[in-house]
This record gives sequence, structure tokens and C-alpha cells, in this order.
Amino acid sequence: MKKTYKSILIASCTALMLSSCGFFEVENSVDPNAVSLDAVSNNPTDKQINQLAIGLQSTVRSGLVDFYRNTGTVGREIVYSASTDNRYFNELLGTESTNFNGANDPNGIFNTYYSAFSQTRRRAEVVIKSAETATVLSEAQKSGIRGFAKTLQGLVTLNMLNMQGKNGIRETFSDLSSPGDQLKPGKFGTYESGLVVVKKMLDDGAAELDKAGTAFAFPLTGGYTGFTTPATMKRFNRGIAARVAMYQKDFPGMIATLNQSFLDLNGSLTTGPNFTFSTTAGDAVNGFFQAPDDAGAPYVAFNQHITSAEAGDTRVFGPTAKVRQRTTPRQSGPAITSTHEVRMYTTNTVPVSILRNEELILMWAEAQIQAGTLATGIAALDRIRTAHGLRTLAQAKPTILTNKDALIDEVLNQRRYSLFFEGHRWFDAKRYAKISILPLQTGTFKVFENFNRPDAEVQWDARNPN
Amino acid sequence: MRKNFRLLWVLGLFFVGLTLQAQDRAVSGKVTDASGSALPGANIQVKGTNKGTTANSDGMFTINVASGAKIVVSSIGFTSKEVTISGGTSNVTVSLSEDSRNLEEIVVTGLATSVKRTNLANAVTSLSAKQLTGTTRPQTLDGAMNGKLIGANISANSGAPGGGFSVRLRGISSINLSSEPLYIVDGVYVNNSQFQTGAGTGSFNGATGQTSGTQDQATNRIADINPADIENVEVLKGPSAAAIYGTRANAGVIIITTKKGKAGKTSISFGQDVGYAEALRLIGMQKTPWDADKISKGIWLVSNDEMLDLFKANGSGSKTVDYEKEVYGNKGLLRTSRLSLSGGTDKIKFYAAANTTKEDGIQKNTGFNRASVRLNLDYKLNDFVDFSIGSNYLNTFTSRSFSGNDNNGVSLGYNLAYLPNWLEQRPDAQGVYPQNPLTGQNILEVVDKAQNLERTNRFIQSFAANFNFIKTEKHSLKLSVQGGLDYLLTESDAYMPDNIQFQTRRANPGAARLTKNRNINTNLQAFLVDQLSVNKFNFNTSVGTVRLETNQEISYIQGDGLPSNQRNPSLATVRTPFVNFAKWQDVGLVAQEEINWDDKVIATAGIRFDKSSLNGDNQKYYAFPKASLAVNVANFDFWKVPAVSQLKLRAAYGETGNPANFGALFTSTASVIIAGQSGLISPTSNGNAGIEPERATEIEAGVDLGLFNNRISIEASVYNKKVLNYIDAFSLSPGTGVSQIAAFPVGDLQNRGFELGITAVPVQKENITWNTTFNIWNNITKITRLIVPEYQVGASGFGAFGTNRIRLGESPNSWYGTPLLPDGSRTRYEASQPKVQFSWNNNITFFKNFELSFLLHVSQGNYNASLNQELTDEGGTSPDWGTASATDRNIPVGVARQLGQPGITTRQFIVDASYIKLREVALYYNIPKTILPKGLEGIRVGFSGNNVFMSTPYFGYDPEASNFGNRPVGGGVDLLSFPSSRRLFFHLNVNF
Repeated sequence: MKKTYKSILIASCTALMLSSCGFFEVENSVDPNAVSLDAVSNNPTDKQINQLAIGLQSTVRSGLVDFYRNTGTVGREIVYSASTDNRYFNELLGTESTNFNGANDPNGIFNTYYSAFSQTRRRAEVVIKSAETATVLSEAQKSGIRGFAKTLQGLVTLNMLNMQGKNGIRETFSDLSSPGDQLKPGKFGTYESGLVVVKKMLDDGAAELDKAGTAFAFPLTGGYTGFTTPATMKRFNRGIAARVAMYQKDFPGMIATLNQSFLDLNGSLTTGPNFTFSTTAGDAVNGFFQAPDDAGAPYVAFNQHITSAEAGDTRVFGPTAKVRQRTTPRQSGPAITSTHEVRMYTTNTVPVSILRNEELILMWAEAQIQAGTLATGIAALDRIRTAHGLRTLAQAKPTILTNKDALIDEVLNQRRYSLFFEGHRWFDAKRYAKISILPLQTGTFKVFENFNRPDAEVQWDARNPN
Repeated sequence: MRKNFRLLWVLGLFFVGLTLQAQDRAVSGKVTDASGSALPGANIQVKGTNKGTTANSDGMFTINVASGAKIVVSSIGFTSKEVTISGGTSNVTVSLSEDSRNLEEIVVTGLATSVKRTNLANAVTSLSAKQLTGTTRPQTLDGAMNGKLIGANISANSGAPGGGFSVRLRGISSINLSSEPLYIVDGVYVNNSQFQTGAGTGSFNGATGQTSGTQDQATNRIADINPADIENVEVLKGPSAAAIYGTRANAGVIIITTKKGKAGKTSISFGQDVGYAEALRLIGMQKTPWDADKISKGIWLVSNDEMLDLFKANGSGSKTVDYEKEVYGNKGLLRTSRLSLSGGTDKIKFYAAANTTKEDGIQKNTGFNRASVRLNLDYKLNDFVDFSIGSNYLNTFTSRSFSGNDNNGVSLGYNLAYLPNWLEQRPDAQGVYPQNPLTGQNILEVVDKAQNLERTNRFIQSFAANFNFIKTEKHSLKLSVQGGLDYLLTESDAYMPDNIQFQTRRANPGAARLTKNRNINTNLQAFLVDQLSVNKFNFNTSVGTVRLETNQEISYIQGDGLPSNQRNPSLATVRTPFVNFAKWQDVGLVAQEEINWDDKVIATAGIRFDKSSLNGDNQKYYAFPKASLAVNVANFDFWKVPAVSQLKLRAAYGETGNPANFGALFTSTASVIIAGQSGLISPTSNGNAGIEPERATEIEAGVDLGLFNNRISIEASVYNKKVLNYIDAFSLSPGTGVSQIAAFPVGDLQNRGFELGITAVPVQKENITWNTTFNIWNNITKITRLIVPEYQVGASGFGAFGTNRIRLGESPNSWYGTPLLPDGSRTRYEASQPKVQFSWNNNITFFKNFELSFLLHVSQGNYNASLNQELTDEGGTSPDWGTASATDRNIPVGVARQLGQPGITTRQFIVDASYIKLREVALYYNIPKTILPKGLEGIRVGFSGNNVFMSTPYFGYDPEASNFGNRPVGGGVDLLSFPSSRRLFFHLNVNF
């Protein structure tokens, strides 16, 4: 029996050891790997406001590669000639369209732009709502944040809407003030109603910038040099608004907004805000950079882009050209041979233009020609032509000087070369119902009217019919 | 309440203890096998009591019994025997015959209790050391179980050295969380993580553009465990058997017991295996002929003219190289040496073992090494206290190179598919590797210079102590304390030199990622176990508590832009650091009661309450009940059918849980950088602060039959396992800007299946004994409730090449793809889960000393989403490429079946991956002891093979493939994964 007591004693000691090490306790988990959203969205400090604003400037870049690649391919400007994934030059050029109701795989790899732009739209909203709770901010400073965030919302929402075309977009996306708001997405509208929504976003943004005083409460990074005050930011905002007016075919509105933008008919064509990149960990690099003659997955041009160019066009030929002849042509599937590849960015940290004076001048030309003031339009076109090694229209194409339709074609042509691989060619062809000018539409190839609504949206609405 | 209960038992014992019997006398004896060899360690127990002893190293024992009492003699692997000790007997010899079904085996079913196999209410599959590694030497434990576990679907993710197996018991138990079983080694909850290495990310093979993903072709950590140390594996396949393990047991539990020392003379055993590995199957990609006509008809990565120029410049096919053979044609040397010592006294027993394995792969510079040292000690302080400890140090190393999905020309299978046999890729005299103008990467340069290494240092420590408060014939009460620690550090090292072809094209050439994965699991449990015999009833009561902790830190630093010949990432131009912490704790309270009426009716009921820091409410206890009943009909007196020695009807019900992954509770910002400034953005994946564990319920019923003295035994089971409120990401409308709620109870799923095992001894003659086991099993999985829209399972395939989707009423393993139906939904194809599996295991002993074994395994009706045909067709390397297509004689079939060609839909890529494999075969010879020199106890020599033969309609290296690693759903995606190997061995084993 003594031994029994001894073992009871040992057992009791063991039990004591258990309780003293907190045997029955489990931790209250806090995320050891990230800052909680609550911490920054409820009355943020000025440091947190800065972080949110910087975060927005960083995240607005996301989706860009997908957006330019998709529009560039559908618009028959470029091909992403991925040796290990032919969907980039089959599916995107329409070869699967009979399997996918006329366009891309709704659940495939070409939806990145949609989620990225939607995320930016929401993140901008989070910044706005967080700022509204901040006691460290003045009303003017809050207006500044709203104005900036809404400008970026307008930028990405317009791109998303153009990709979806007649499918429209969810015109309200959430009400951040109620919990579980993500469970109540807004309804899809039409393309036209979507443009109205984007216009309002930008107009509201401009109105906020008007109330924002002389300086922002948060830092703007290098890409926004020249646009760092509410007044100059508004000029950027109006430039985007001019795009919306262009898609709305509201030419007087286009002229009006361009007049408020940073349009400068005699200024540098490259003036405008940029997306900047770096190789710092956590930052993004310019995803369009490629080494010359890459064999893995180069961006190559459609040959028609070169063969249709006017001789001497420095955007196509010579040292400043945006394309470069490959030492050997590149094959992308059976139908596409490319003699040239894209050469727009010489390193992976070169900035990508968001909106620049060159585009504003081209919009100005288009709006003036549409308004019947042909000479003003021609002058703007000549500004572009001569900047790129071409003679003036009077010299090069004297027969079209009084022909409005031909001048519009000239605008589209100059946009084709000036805004190459920047998400315009396909939309230009669509808005003038000139899809037929795009090459490679025979056989299984087809130019999409729009991208399919992502499967997750279709499934959501099927499950939540109200 | 629990305390009162215990007090009652303690009081009860004193009365029982008083009736100690005085007329006992000593009986000595010897236990032998059929051939007369001693059986050390055999159990001798006085029937109807707890009194017993074990045989020493010579099989001898002494026990005090009353006259006329019966003793029951048992030993694992043998049929037990009852012997009546009549009045005058003082010496008995008991000879036991081998039992292929292990009916007498004691099966660990509770956390502190065990039950005899004949009394089990569940179909618990056990594998002995002999079954596991007695035939041949699979590289890893999971490989050694493949084809042997009825009810399991085990599949290698690839043939790369170092493992990587997915094990699913009775179907899947989750969609997105782990569905791999819980592994417990000597009571230690061991880690079986699949740590990512970065090999599948942008700077390496570029399978994903993200900085991390599931396409690294990673190993899983159970590969560290040394199979040679294992005495026994028990598999609790579903919640009805595993309920007592609570919230960690949804996917079943695999309980591993390592070898223990036996009292008596120290026995020393030395074993040596030597062999080689070769590719089980090569496709013959570079045997496909080429000519100018073919080049004009194909679609290549360069223009047809350019391809023709290349062809001419490379000698127009006058000299060819079989690159597939160059890459995968290596004969890898396999070596294993084992030394073990076992022995001890009645007080202290030890088992010490050292093991080194060095295995080269079928690809140059690949391989797997393992070193293991183990010491198991059992110490009996006195009749009241005994304890044991087990220590195991493990060191494993793998070199796996690069395989699977790819976007950089780095993965070798992928590159081979696009590599014509005439293209010169071998280095010239100066060691310069010719550029590959097609894929952008010279394949031999990858083999020679790129590295994907992983090294693990691991320490597993177990301890157990029993305090026997009461130990009488009719009553015992003990406190069982058990615990352990599993510490591991897995360091991986992925390296691409700066001068390798595709790196020179990058902005910052040269990449290295060093990853450190540190994981510590600790567990501690204390149980009170009370056994009471009253008349013919035996009550076994246990109550206890369990605590589990996991603490994990994963970090890496990646460098891009390395100086020449340097692989230190801190020297690189671009440095990317990453650190992730994870830790969680579970606490469980357990109570279980088992009532055994004379081995006729055995009823068990139990409950476990668990709380976990992983749950939304970390103070809430979730209850997991169980109940089971086994009725041994043949043990009733009315049973008069002598041919049927066992007839057991059994049924069991149980519930288990599975908490959400660490991090699922949190809605946190993400950190981003622009222009050197750091910013915060709201997440695209929201947490769920109220998440509760998944819950699986299972009802199992079965019949066990023993015929003709158990020469034929049959075990048949059916089960219905439901997973309620399974957790997956809740996909939101992406237009909201939040893609998902990371963890949400989105629905229910169900697994139904049957298992039928027949073990027989068809021939039992003096010179030949044939043991055979035939198993057949199936499992059907179905989504039975879904509160979210139909969705695609993440990382389950590639668009039109087939992906898994969750659709109500269908199997989650089904493949979906094109064409879209008129309503916009996707066409459903076959599923990745086999319709049925068979295995046939045989062991034939002849002329006493020869032993022939083989294991056939058939998996029928499993389909893969395979890109193998597409890749080789695109590259012109499919063997039948030039055959005229059925629809147009001018188009080669190698073009006509490519995606994008008319009529090609997902149908083309969902392919039958059924197979028949001869997994194991061996012939051994035991040199008769009579001719051995003195001092040698035994010598065994033999030849064996692992994965010797495969028959399959599948096009590719092996139908066992998973590009995305271990996933409950999403396995079976194949992009020319690393070929599996046939392994052939010579074995020598010497016992001193």
C-alpha cells in the first residue's frame, strides 16, 4: 500500500504540473502576420491615413497587365506569345468563342482585370470611409481624400465597364457602413448607364477637389509629380472625364472637360501622371518589360501594325519606335507570325503612363472634328503627326482635309500608333462600329464584342436572384 | 461528478481485493511457433483475470495459477490458444500457429485504451512491420501503405524522390482544408505538412506568377519517418472509429507504434539493401520522327520557316539525341543499412536502431537520403509505476529538380515535350550549353545547374507513464500520462544560377530562395483508466484530458539578381523577405465506457469535448460523441456451426471535427510598397470571426466471419460518412471588390462506400503455405447541401483543360469543362476518384525457408485532367504525332487534337487514369539455422521489387500525378510530372 501512496503522490505532482502550465487555456488569437482592418478604419491616425493613401496609389496599378494584354490582343495590336500557354493567342483571339458563347472562358484566366479593378474601387471606398472617421483630418482634407479616391475609382471603373461592354457592371458595389455588405452587391446596368455612373464618380471627385484647399493631407508618390495639389489633381480628373464623354459621344462635354484638363496643345506630349515601379520587395515591377528576342513568352506585334504604318513614323521605325524587329520571327499558333516585338519599356522599372497630353490632344482633335471645327482638329492631329516624324496632313493627305469621316479615320489611326498597347484600339474600333478593320477574323478567329461576365458573377446572381 | 465516480471505483476495489486467492501455484512453460522456435514476448494471461506475464527471450514463462484454471497464450501475428492447467501440470509447452488476419492483436482504439481485434466494432486496418516493409522497401511510409489499406485512396503526387503522397481515408473529409489523416507516432502528434519551396514561382519554373503557390511539387513530412522502425500501423478510417480524437480526426487517424525492446538476450540485427531505380515508363518523346513535311504541317513555337531553318542547321535530323533518356534514363543506386539492438531485463527493456538510406534518382543530381537514430526504453520501477520514453532523431535530404507546370522552360517534362530530337542541347567542348530557341531554356543546363533541395532535421520524443493505483485480478485502476514533442526544421533551397538561359533574359538574373520551416508540436494527455470484472462483465472506464499545441514559423528570403557563382540571397539586387507565424492550441476532455459481456457483446460509448484557439469562440467546447456495438454471435453457447469460428456483427457511430486553418478568423490589411513608401490596403479575402469547426459524422456497419478455424476470414463493412458544414472559401461577387470570405460553412458532403476483405490460407501443407488477401473497396462522394453558388475549386486545373467544381448533387471530384451548355453551365465529365479499387496480396512459404510475396493493386475508373497529350502534340513529340487524323487525312493527329482545333473540347483532356500495378514482389531465403556458424541466429537473403510493373491506358509517365500537391479535390492534374521509378533490391539480413 505504501507504493500506492507513492504513486498517488507522483500522479498528484503530475497533475499539479499540468495545471501550472495553463493546461486548459487556449489563446485569444490575434493576427501575428498583419495589421487588422479595424485598427486602420476606425479613427485612423495621420500615419495610418498616409499608409492608406499610399496603399491606394500602389493598388491602383493592379490589373494593368491583364487589361492591356487583353485589350491589346483582342484589338489585334499585340500577342502574348507564351510558349507554355496558348490560351493567350487562341482563346483571346476567339478560337474558343463557340464553346464560350461568343467570347472568353468566363472562368478562365482572363478575369484578372475585373477583380483587380473591383478591388481598387472598393479599396478607394475604404480609404474614403476611414478618412471620414478620422478626427485628425479637417473637412477640406477629407474632401481632398475623397476627390483623389473618386478620381482613381473613375479611372478603373471606366476600364472595367469598357471590357464588359453591353454586359454592364455592378453600379453600386457595397455599402461599407453596414456589416456583411459584401453579401449585397448592386445590380448590373447597361453600358450606357455604367458610363453615367462613372461620370458621376468623376464629377463628384472634381467637386470634392474644389473644396479641398491648397494641399492634400497625404503624400503623393513620384508618379503624380505635377498633380500633387487638389487643383492639379482635378486636371487629371477632368482628363479621365473627357474619356467618359468620348465614350458617351458627348463631344461638347468632351471639349468642356478637356478645357479643364492638363491639355496643352503646344506642351510636351508625355506630360501626365504615371504608374511607377521598382524592384523593392512588396512593390511591383513593370510587367511589360522584356529582354530583346525573348523566346519564353514575348509580347510581339501583329505584322499589320508595321505594314500599315506610314513610312517614317518614329513610333514604328527607328530608335524610339515602340516595336523592334526580332532577329527571327515569332510564331504564335498557326495563324500569327510576328516579325516585330514590343519594345516600349527598356527596364522593369520604367513608368507606365496613366494619361498623357498626347491622348488629350488626340481627344481634342476628335471632339473638334466631330463638332465640325475641322481646322482645329487638323491642327491637333498635325501636332501629333509632326512630333512622330510624319508630314502634316495638308502635305501627306491633302484629299481628306474636308472629309469628316476620313479625318475621324485619321484620328483613329493616330490613336492606334500613339496609344499602342495602352488599351484603346479595340474600344476605338467598337465605338465607331469598325470592328471589321481589325485583322484575323476568319476561321475560328473572332473579335469579341466584349469580355464575358466572370463566372463568379453569373453564379452569384443565379444563387441570389433578387 | 467525475470525482465521485472515481471514488466509487476506488472503494469497490478494496472489497474485490480482499478475495485474493491462496491456492495458486507456479506453472512454468514455453511458447513456440509451429516450427518449434521460441516466441519471445508472448502474452500469458489467466483467463477471466488481469493476471498475466510475458515470455522471455527464450519463450519461457512462469505464472501462478489455480488448479483447473485456463491460461490464454497470445502473440501478435499468431492465433491465441487456451490451455487448461490441470491438477498435476507444472510445465506446459504451447505452440501457436500463425494468424494471417491478426485476430488476436490488440488494437489501440482510445487515447488510453485498447481492445482485442475480435471485439472491435470498427474495421480498423492494421499493418504489421512485415506487411509494411517485409516485402520490399518503398521510400516512404505513405508509399509503403499504398495498395495495402482497404478503404484508402493513396496516390503519389509525382515520382520525384522524397515522397509527396496524398492519403484519403474513406473519401474526402473537406474541400479546401487538409484531408490528410492525423499521424500519431508512439503517442506524438507528428507533423505531415507540405512545406512550399518556391520552386513553382516566377523566378524558378514560373508555374505561378504569385510569390507563393501550391505548384512547388513539395514533399510531405511523413516521409521523414523511418519505415524500418515501425512495428505496427493502425488506421482509424473514419469518425466512428476516431471520434475520441475529436477535432483533429476528420480525415482519420494513423497510429504508428515503433519497435520496442524485449526482455532477454540482446539480439542484434543488421540489414543491408542494395538496388537501383530506373524509370518505370518513358514516353519516347525523342523517338518521334521528324522531317520537313512534318515541320510544314505543324504549329511550332517559332514560324514554320524558322523551324525548318533550325532543322536544317541542326543536320536535318541526321543526328538525334534521346533527351528523355538523357534526363530520366539514370539508374539510381539505392542503399540502405540498418542496425538494431534489442534486449533488456524484466525491469528495463531497450530498442536501439540506426538507419541510413541513400537513394539516387532516375535523374542525375536527384535523390533522397535519410538518417535515423532511435532509442526506445521501457522501465518498470515497480508493480505500480512503469514508464517508457522514445527518442528519434531524423535527418532527411531530397533533391527533386523541377517538374510539373511551367512557364519558363524549366520543368523537365514540359521542356522535353517541346524538344525535337535533332536540336543540339548538349554542351560543347567549352562547356557552353546551346540556347533553346523554342522553350527559351536548355534542358540539360537545368539538370546540371539548377537545384531544388530540401533538408530536414527532426526530433521526435515520446514519453508515457502508468501509475497503477489498483492492480488485482478483478480490478485495476491506473493513471496514464502520455505526451511528446515533434520538433522539425525543414530548410529548402531553390537555386537558379545567373547564367542559365532563361535567367539571362530576366531583369535580375540569378535567383535563390532559402526557406526555413520550423514546426513544433507538443501534446500531453492524462487518463484515468479503470477496469472492473464483475461476473462475466468487464467494465472499462476511462476519463481524461488532452492538450495539443502547434507552433510554426515559416520564413524565407529570396534574392533575384545574384552575383556570378553566388547563391546567398542577401547579396542579390532584389531581396524579398517573408515571415509567417502560426500557432494554435486545442484542449480536449474525454470520457469513455466499454462494457464487455464475456467477449459476446461489446458495447462502447464515449464523448469528447474540444475547444481550440482556431475556433471563432475559443472558449466553447464542441462535443463529439461515439457509440458502438459488436456482437460475437459465434461466442454464444447456442452457436453450433463448427465451420464458422467467428461471426461478428458490428455497428459504430461517431463524430469528429476539423477546425478552420490558422488565420481564418482575421480580416487584416495587406502591406504594399510604392516608391519606397509603405502602404496598407484592405483585404480581398475577409476573415470569419465566428467560424466553427467542420463536423464529420459516420455510421459504419459490418460483418466479420472466420471460417474453418479462421483459415478463411472475411471482413465486410459499409459506411456513410457525412461532413457537415464543411469549410471553404465563400466566393463573393467579385464586383464587390472582395473575392471571398476565407472560411465559411458552405455545405455538406457525403461519402458512402463499402470495404470487403478476404484473407485465406488456401494451401497449408508441410512444404508450402500460401496466405492470400483480397481487398475490394469503393467510395462515392457527393455534395448534399450547398448554400453558395456553384463554384470552381481553387488550384484544381486549368480552364478548358478541366477543373473541379462544387455542384449540388454531384461529386466534388468531377471534372468540368467545355463545351458550355446552352444555359451557360459547364459540361460535367468523369471524376478523379476511383470507382473501385482492388488489391491482392500474397505470401507463399515453401520448403520452409523460401518465401515469395507479391502485391497487385488495381485502381479503376479514376480520371485525370491531363495536359500530357496536348504538350507533346504542341511540341511534335507525341509518338503518334504524324498519324493522319480521322477527319482529314492531310492533317496529322498531333495537330488535330490540340486545343483550339475544330471540335476539341475538354473531353480531349479528361482521360482514364485507371491502372494495374505490381507494387511489390519479393523472393527471400532464410538460411537454415542448422548450417549457420555458432553465434548467428539467422541470415535472410532475397530479391525484391517495388513498382515493378504497370498496365494503364494512360498517356504519360504515371497516372498517379498531382500538379497541385496534396489536395482533397484538385489532385489528378498532370503536366508530365516527374516519372515514377521501378526499384529493384537485393537484401541481406543477419541476426546475431
